[in-house]
Amino acid sequence: MSSVATIVLDASNYALILLLIALGLAIIFGLMNVINLAHGEFLMLGAYTVLSIQMAGGPFWLGLIAAPLAVGLFGLVIEEVVIRRVYHRVLDTILATWGLSLLLKQSIVLVFGPGSHSIEDPISASVMIFGAPYPAYRLFIMAISLLVVTATFLFFFKTRIGLAARGVIANRNMAACLGINTRNLDRMTFSLGAALAGLAGAVIAPLISLDPHLGLGYLVPAFLAILVGGLGSIMAPVVGAAGVGVTENLAATFLSPVYAQLIVFITAVLVIRLAPGGLLGKKRRQT
Amino acid sequence: MIRTALSHMKTESLVAGILLVVLLLLPLGASSWLLSDLSIYFSYALFAASLAFVWGHCGLLCLGQAVFFGLGAYAMSLVTLGMVPGVEGMVSTWLGFAAAIAVPALAAQLLGRFLFHAQGLQGAFFGIVTLAVAFIVERLFINWDFVGGLNGLMNVPPIVLGLNGDGYELWEAVPLYYAALFVLVLGFSVLAALMRSRWGLALKAVASHEMRTKSLGYDTAHYKTTAFSIGAAIAGLAGALFVVQFGFVSPSLIGFGLSAEVLIWVALGGRGMLVAACAGAILVRVLESNLSSVFGDTWLLLLGGLFIVSVMFLPRGLVGEAIHGLDRWRAKRRKGGSTPRGKAVERLSPSEYTAR
Amino acid sequence: MDKPVLELDGISAGYGTGLVLQDLSLTVDRGEVLGIMGRNGVGKSTLLKTLMGLLKVRSGRLTFSGHDLTNAPSYRVAAAGVGYVPQGREVFPDFTIRQNLIMGNLKARNDDIDAAMDLFPVLRERARATGGSLSGGQQQQLAIARALIGRPALLVLDEPSEGIQPSIVREIGTTLKQVSAEKGMTIMLVEQNMDMITQCCDRVVFLEGGRIATSVPAAQLLESPALLNKYMAF
Ligand SMILES: Nc1ncnc2c1ncn2[C@@H]1O[C@H](COP(=O)(O)OP(=O)(O)O)[C@@H](O)[C@H]1O
Ligand SMILES: [Mg+2]
Repeated sequence: MSSVATIVLDASNYALILLLIALGLAIIFGLMNVINLAHGEFLMLGAYTVLSIQMAGGPFWLGLIAAPLAVGLFGLVIEEVVIRRVYHRVLDTILATWGLSLLLKQSIVLVFGPGSHSIEDPISASVMIFGAPYPAYRLFIMAISLLVVTATFLFFFKTRIGLAARGVIANRNMAACLGINTRNLDRMTFSLGAALAGLAGAVIAPLISLDPHLGLGYLVPAFLAILVGGLGSIMAPVVGAAGVGVTENLAATFLSPVYAQLIVFITAVLVIRLAPGGLLGKKRRQT
Repeated sequence: MIRTALSHMKTESLVAGILLVVLLLLPLGASSWLLSDLSIYFSYALFAASLAFVWGHCGLLCLGQAVFFGLGAYAMSLVTLGMVPGVEGMVSTWLGFAAAIAVPALAAQLLGRFLFHAQGLQGAFFGIVTLAVAFIVERLFINWDFVGGLNGLMNVPPIVLGLNGDGYELWEAVPLYYAALFVLVLGFSVLAALMRSRWGLALKAVASHEMRTKSLGYDTAHYKTTAFSIGAAIAGLAGALFVVQFGFVSPSLIGFGLSAEVLIWVALGGRGMLVAACAGAILVRVLESNLSSVFGDTWLLLLGGLFIVSVMFLPRGLVGEAIHGLDRWRAKRRKGGSTPRGKAVERLSPSEYTAR
Repeated sequence: MDKPVLELDGISAGYGTGLVLQDLSLTVDRGEVLGIMGRNGVGKSTLLKTLMGLLKVRSGRLTFSGHDLTNAPSYRVAAAGVGYVPQGREVFPDFTIRQNLIMGNLKARNDDIDAAMDLFPVLRERARATGGSLSGGQQQQLAIARALIGRPALLVLDEPSEGIQPSIVREIGTTLKQVSAEKGMTIMLVEQNMDMITQCCDRVVFLEGGRIATSVPAAQLLESPALLNKYMAF
């Protein structure tokens, strides 16, 4: 009974983290039609922000706040310098962001070295759940992920800017012809997506060993999640991340992490084959 | 005669021809050290050509092309090391080459069947899925003890000319150099011929106007799957050519890292022309072996930066841009020499022209 | 005499490498209701898309209310005071009517929304329905209300009568006349429907060969079937 609770909690934990990452990817893609292959590195930058603050003697919590801000700001700069210049050529955005991911990895190697680092556990206490101890920090991760994801959805579904953003997702040209400032929305979206990745990197930092190549391991499942969930909808990552996250986590628990990735990949390809638009997919307007 | 023939040759073919002559004559003056470096780079050049075919000609941005290179290298190694279950006695290099071509082609066929059929994945998503493939296959090979896990397979034999692992061994620099050059030219010619064939033209149409060609009745999924498999077969051949020289195969040949490198070679060289992609691969490798000791870790930073800049501003690539420039220069010279009147007409603006 | 509100000066534009509009010039006066006619595929929609910044201007100049809007992004054209009702309406199918109206003006207050709904009462009746669930005619009314809620100085409409039942076409025509009369709004109306043109327009221009071929007062149109034959018949 107790181990079942632990397994369920672990799986939800991973699914929620994945949701934070996939949500950023999905809104960037939905609004801007940009596939951000540097998203994993944005996450990595978030984790390294926490590391730098720890190295400077600052508390973890400061890093947790600084990471999304720093990465969000960085995203703003990247949007202005790179993305804006290639965003109408979809394949080139892939290439450019992919090149950016190489640059970021190599920069981190230069600054922090190629080896791995670790972050001290900010909360070492455990909580008893169904008679088994469960790390309190993991519960904190779930809480903060839920909070941020809820806030993001409230922003998109309850505010007028969020409405405008959804309008741009549905029909970019028409939204622009109605006076929606797509330029500012693009900036905001890319920066918000980057900040979400940065936050995800910061919260998982104490659980993993940090190395410059950690991004790809999160980027791939996050992408599979939005492919499975469906493109062009910001609700889709919820379904996708839940499916991918839970499947991968369970398979990793009962088989091995490698088989887990293989199983998730094959399942994802099958889903894409059977439902090319994804589970919640909608037809997007071709512009 | 020869001059007119040369002046009518396509600039791309002309450049390829000149490069080939230079490479053929090189052993007369070069050190065997340089030659053995170059013959390894030939396998990278062929690898780059396979990606230029798949990406540049067929519009399939494959972010995991090294999967096929690696599969080829592993297939060759398993055969020549006598590790294939059931046929341990068969260690022929030739069988190795056959396996190195067939296995990646089959893998690509299978993947293509899933990704391109029905509505299929549009360009960008295909790229992501191939990235995921590279990531997962690399992890798989790292954890697969039969193929040596993280350490890979060592002591892979060189090319042996006999039918079953007997006969003349190719390991001296000059013969190996010519053998590698031969395989490069062979693979290159196959791709070039395919690209110029009717089928290759149809492929180009599929790449640039998928919807339109589909509505004309072309089975675009079939075209793309076949092209993807051919690219994979050539990448596998390149992987085999690599491992018979290097003698060692490990998961780093099959995953994300090498896929990234080949993409950079092709982007910097030029995705639009096979010869530009090959030259890109060789150039980057030569520069790397000479400069990376100077630049150290910043070398990769430099390469990544150059890559982004070329994506943003030089989509033809550096070598491609140079060949294109040469082409324009030749066209101008030809026109200037033979049809001065044509030039005069060209100068008129459209409105003046209709006014006459 | 007032300066014209919109000036197109030698505009060329099109898709890909081909040009649909070639050296097109047109001026629209303040308060005028201008009809634009021409055969299918002659480039009427292309003209409006170019005006809205959806297509690149290859050469020429586009001036609106004294602002140079040549190759300005669409949102700047809209912000400068151009309201656009595209061919095919393009309402947001998943948004409610109210949300669709807000898309026309993010700063709209409740009375702005009320005023927009007053123009077409059916929008109020179905305020909570989604855009996609409306009939073609209702969608068209929504698209017009959505353009008007941004209080444009110039309203451009692309075949608002297309595929819509005659009673609603008449209602739309009446409303357009009403806004033009009450607010002095300038209107550019691309239409094939003669009733609508004669009901609303002051002047009509014909598009042919990528430019404006003729301009006539709307009243004269009924008396000159030769014009229609020349520019509209196939
Ligand atoms: N998206 C497009 N891409 C390429 N050509 C187009 C596109 N839309 C329209 N055209 C072409 O441009 C020309 C003008 O079209 P359009 O402006 O829609 O005509 P109209 O609105 O007068 O019926 C037509 O020949 C049409 O085929
Ligand atoms: Mg039209």
